[in-house]
Amino acid sequence: MLWVALHLPSLSLESFAATLAGASAAQAPAGQAIALVDEHRIAAVNAAALAQGVKPGLKRATALALAPRIVLGQADAARDAEAMLPVAHAALAFTPNVSLQPASAPGAAADTVLLEVQGSLRYFGGLERLLQRLRASIEPLGHALAIACAATAQGAAVLARVDPPRRCATLEATRQALAAAPVWLLGPGRSHWEALQGMGLRRIGDLLGLPRAGLARRFGEKLLAEIDAAFGRRADPREPIVPARMFESRLELFARADSSEQVLHGAQVLLARLVAWLAAQHAFVRRFRLLMHHETRWQQGDRTPQATALEIALAEPSRDSAHLVVLLRERLAQVQLPAPTLELALQAEDIVKRAAPSGELFPTRQSEDEGLTRLIERLQARLGVEQVQRLAAVDDHRPERASCLHGAALARPARASERRAARGGQPPPGAAAKATRCPARPVWLQAPEPLAERNARPLLDGRPLGLLSGPERIESGWWDAELAERDYFIAETADGALVWIYRARLPLSSAGEGGWFLHGRFG
Amino acid sequence: MDASALPSVSARLPRRPPVEPLASDPAVASVPQDGPPAAVRRAPETLHPALWLGHQLGRAGVQTVASGFAALDAELPGGGWPRRVLSELLLPHPGVGEIRLLAPALVGAQRAGRQVMLFDPPAALSAGALAALGFGVEELLVVQTRARRVDGPKLASLTASREDRAGLGAARRPVLPGSDSLWALEQALKSGHVGAVVAWLPPRLRVERLRRLQLAAHGHDGPAFVMREAAAVARPTASPLRLSLHAAGGDRLLLRILKRRGPPLETPLELELPSVLSGAARRRSPIDRERRRFLHVATFVDIA
Repeated sequence: MLWVALHLPSLSLESFAATLAGASAAQAPAGQAIALVDEHRIAAVNAAALAQGVKPGLKRATALALAPRIVLGQADAARDAEAMLPVAHAALAFTPNVSLQPASAPGAAADTVLLEVQGSLRYFGGLERLLQRLRASIEPLGHALAIACAATAQGAAVLARVDPPRRCATLEATRQALAAAPVWLLGPGRSHWEALQGMGLRRIGDLLGLPRAGLARRFGEKLLAEIDAAFGRRADPREPIVPARMFESRLELFARADSSEQVLHGAQVLLARLVAWLAAQHAFVRRFRLLMHHETRWQQGDRTPQATALEIALAEPSRDSAHLVVLLRERLAQVQLPAPTLELALQAEDIVKRAAPSGELFPTRQSEDEGLTRLIERLQARLGVEQVQRLAAVDDHRPERASCLHGAALARPARASERRAARGGQPPPGAAAKATRCPARPVWLQAPEPLAERNARPLLDGRPLGLLSGPERIESGWWDAELAERDYFIAETADGALVWIYRARLPLSSAGEGGWFLHGRFG
Repeated sequence: MDASALPSVSARLPRRPPVEPLASDPAVASVPQDGPPAAVRRAPETLHPALWLGHQLGRAGVQTVASGFAALDAELPGGGWPRRVLSELLLPHPGVGEIRLLAPALVGAQRAGRQVMLFDPPAALSAGALAALGFGVEELLVVQTRARRVDGPKLASLTASREDRAGLGAARRPVLPGSDSLWALEQALKSGHVGAVVAWLPPRLRVERLRRLQLAAHGHDGPAFVMREAAAVARPTASPLRLSLHAAGGDRLLLRILKRRGPPLETPLELELPSVLSGAARRRSPIDRERRRFLHVATFVDIA
């Protein structure tokens, strides 16, 4: 058994800083002092606040006196737990045996994730590489990490808090490292810390030589149980966490977000969590939804909706966070938000489980297809789905109905080029035969434009057209309202271009009262 | 040393008159010169792909796609449509034979399994005509970045019904902002996953916009054609290749190379396009008849 412990020393600060993302970057520079307040006392501070003299334990007013520009947030265990879950999800991509180490202080959120990785070492190419990839997969979540390894779960959790975190592969090394660790790292030890210090017991190793009965009487059974679990003398079963079937994560913004750019900042945090949840299940998201809860306006007859939902569907399931952000940005840029946003929620249910795409160094056919799908998605996100179109031939003799444009469907169309490639790069056998049978058609079709007539010759822009070929009679469509009875000619304009004109045969036909019409140009 | 082997290395200067002392005086010739060695002077493209002699076509370093017209290939630097840059085509109006001119290159890209994208075609495309030119019609992607115009009030009903069936009618958005049209083109060029791009640009496009597209085209591995109005000839361009197209009667296309990496081409090229007319019909063309009459006269004069 080899346990890896991921300890997030400043989880509560980071989870609070994520809610600040709603404020614009100018308002929250990197050196902004941040502190969390719990029951009117400072609970946690960042480095910038520490530099100004704000320490944990100070009163709120004292902290404000020391650093007037400090951002004070309320400590919130539920928010921390919400931020902790994605870290566990990201770890689930490496081993199924992932559990959260319960917090030592009552009421606080867990801040350590435990992974049992013995079975995954071979697959990931050793502990070093595994840890490297683990760090890389947690990095988008934006947490500072302390990673320790030990032969026992409890031991790893303790060693992750030692500065610097220790890595011990064997039980023997784990015991040695634990013996040197300070005693207050043990969960129950914290409450008895002063008593232990008074007795001259500073290291865990100092406790080992003492009579067990006496220790249990003074400090409780739990301390002994924890030491035994850490030293591998007692079974320490852990309940592995299972990702929820449906993803839902919320982010309450510290400041209300007025612009879509601010909303996007917050949504990026949620998207990183979504990607971690997807990675845990080796899945790809096909559709997700961003809910923006608005500030309520207490006015009579105010019609502002409570929330705006933004539904984003993908043509190709993805878990590439950069791509998802781009799509979201394009969609957000189009949405007009009725009111400032206070809270964001991201939901995803529609996922696809499949093997991860193999990483390619050089561009391949598959990577090009994928890139093309993303390009189309990006264009559709900004221009609208129906603006990216595919052409299709329709069986109709009337030229204006022989082809139609339809929005390029989100689902991948049958790739004719692939089918053709299978046949050896030849066009379909029917197409060539069809092309030769079919008389010439112009590439450009326009709405029929009536032409003037002089001496029985049609005029275009005041100059006569020379008829070169025709007539080709098209008489079709009596079954629907648009009967066409036309004689088509290919004509040449004065500057030498070829145009397609027709003469309506019957004055009764719907296109007008007879005469010449320009219908197309040979491009 | 032959005088013709001594043109200036500087790229754009026309051919200079030969400098006599260098060629004739052996004492001067034997003295080591400051300039580059003779081999480099003959073929400066070996030094850097962006260099070429004033009187010859730039060849090395230009990746090209055969245009399908031998006469045109001979006049284009590198022997075909350039990749990774914009090729600018100036048209007096749509329908002078531009699609038939580009068809071999575009169909070639489709045959290679790559995507061809059309941006803002000026009119409705006919699937039958494109299929006859060899296109895989269903694989073409048409991107409408500007909302489609409805030409005349008289014919609005016909147009509207067509759009309704295409799913464009009711849900169609109003005219999109102008920046979107170039944004979409730029994205397609930058992505590098598109095989060939044909774009009909809005009129009176500012040159810095075009330069931006030209920069984006560096990532585009394939030909990129932009169609512009004929009046754009008076404005400068950022693209290294600029052609103007004119119809020349029958199934012919008159093509002027206005700008290329090489000397300007004085005489326009006349290309025979894939024909839409039968032989008999082509002979009926008045412009063609006139041309043949000139040909007769020329032949007669020659014999005389």
